[in-house]
Amino acid sequence: MKRVHLSWLAIAAVCVLAPTVRAQANRPAPRAEDGKPDLSGVWIASEGLEIAANPPYQPDFQKLWEERKRNASDDPAKYCLPNGVVRMTSRPYKIVQTEKLMVLLSEGNTHSFRRFFLDGRPHNLDLEPNSWTGDSIGHWDGDTLVVDSIGFNDRTWLDDTGKPHSDELHVVERYRRPSLNRLEIQYTIEDPKALTKSFAFTRVMTLVTDRDLQEYFCTDTNRLAGK
Amino acid sequence: MWRISRTAVLAAACGACFGLIAVVIPSAAQPQAQAQGKAKGKSVPYPGAARPTTAPPPGPSGPVPHMRDGKPDLSGIWNGQRALPNQPEPEMLPWAAALTKERTENYSADDPEARCLPGGVPRSAPYHTEYVQTPKLLLMLIEGNIHSFRQIFLDRTAHLKNVGQLWYGDSIGQWDGDTLVVDTVGFNDRFWFDMAGHPHTTQLHITERYHRRDYGNMDIQVTIDDPGAYSKPWVSNRVATLETQIDMSEYVCNENNSDALHLVGK
Repeated sequence: MKRVHLSWLAIAAVCVLAPTVRAQANRPAPRAEDGKPDLSGVWIASEGLEIAANPPYQPDFQKLWEERKRNASDDPAKYCLPNGVVRMTSRPYKIVQTEKLMVLLSEGNTHSFRRFFLDGRPHNLDLEPNSWTGDSIGHWDGDTLVVDSIGFNDRTWLDDTGKPHSDELHVVERYRRPSLNRLEIQYTIEDPKALTKSFAFTRVMTLVTDRDLQEYFCTDTNRLAGK
Repeated sequence: MWRISRTAVLAAACGACFGLIAVVIPSAAQPQAQAQGKAKGKSVPYPGAARPTTAPPPGPSGPVPHMRDGKPDLSGIWNGQRALPNQPEPEMLPWAAALTKERTENYSADDPEARCLPGGVPRSAPYHTEYVQTPKLLLMLIEGNIHSFRQIFLDRTAHLKNVGQLWYGDSIGQWDGDTLVVDTVGFNDRFWFDMAGHPHTTQLHITERYHRRDYGNMDIQVTIDDPGAYSKPWVSNRVATLETQIDMSEYVCNENNSDALHLVGK
């Protein structure tokens, strides 16, 4: 008797909740105080975490990639060094948005942050011409945030397979939130030193509603850190 | 991208009394500074290693910016907090006093910060912190050490139920007039309050009061309450000044951190 009741309750719950979930997925993205799409939230990569395409590499960079695929011992992430801009982890990210500055917080890898300057400033590499996360400036193209980044070192990997790049890396990210739960990031990768031509790929992030970022410090447990 | 050498950080931390060391235990700060210099084979100048007698020079004046909701906007790049002169010393329980002495005499060799672990709260380093404020969140982007972040939630008034034991704890903030009062619990017992090695327990409860006095000056009062390590709560009054000349940089502690290998202690 009790089991029957529970079954009916479960069915009833599904009937009531399923449309709610669907409706939520289709709900439009919220707007920020300034009327721009609000990209704020905790997000986790659901499609395109790894770059599926084979980048059109120059021969020496193709060779470097092949070497890394055979031997990943130099992976910077193993030494708790930053992933840079293109490579993402399967842990969540969080976007904090203001009118003039957007911040992308990362739970995984080095538990650090990227800043996108939205105040109209040009690129400035005076302080750091070659950094792990580069210099990122952004502007709105309609409802899409376009983030342009240069000023990288050549040490990060573009994904877990070790796709290399040079210090001439130029990344354009186009962030779009077509619905409440979905964030699409279209990447265009330029690198005249490493690539014969630019290439593009898209990553999809899904909204995480049941938790915020948690503390994760790579150096806490990693014996290779600092080596 | 760049990384100041450990020696320089030690010098700056001791000398300019970032954190608590020079203010709270001036007696420990100087011998340790000297010991560090000896350990490196040469003496290192530590300007201001003694207890400061004057407040640091003020930041730029002007009106306090406000958010759309009328609250003060604390956003901006702030220089490392600096303790004000003539503050009382903490009253430690015997074990805490003994451990601090041991850590100091051991040249701070076991300092977690030297292993690129987070400084925790309220340790501050001689680097910038960028505050990014929204109606729901005060985000602190920490230049170093380490290059990470701390979140202060303005949209809830209760701590998480199972907060765990964290380096930065669970921080919630509420406005008391123009002062943001930040309440933090849920700490681990691993980080040091300063380079001298003042310890704490998981009972630690920290209250910070942030008041942007004018455009370029922030008063920060930190109350440290930890009945497991201190016989009564103690207060550290600090100031931070707005940085207007230079942007935050990308401090990656773990890039070429060769210092940890050399921190062998006695």
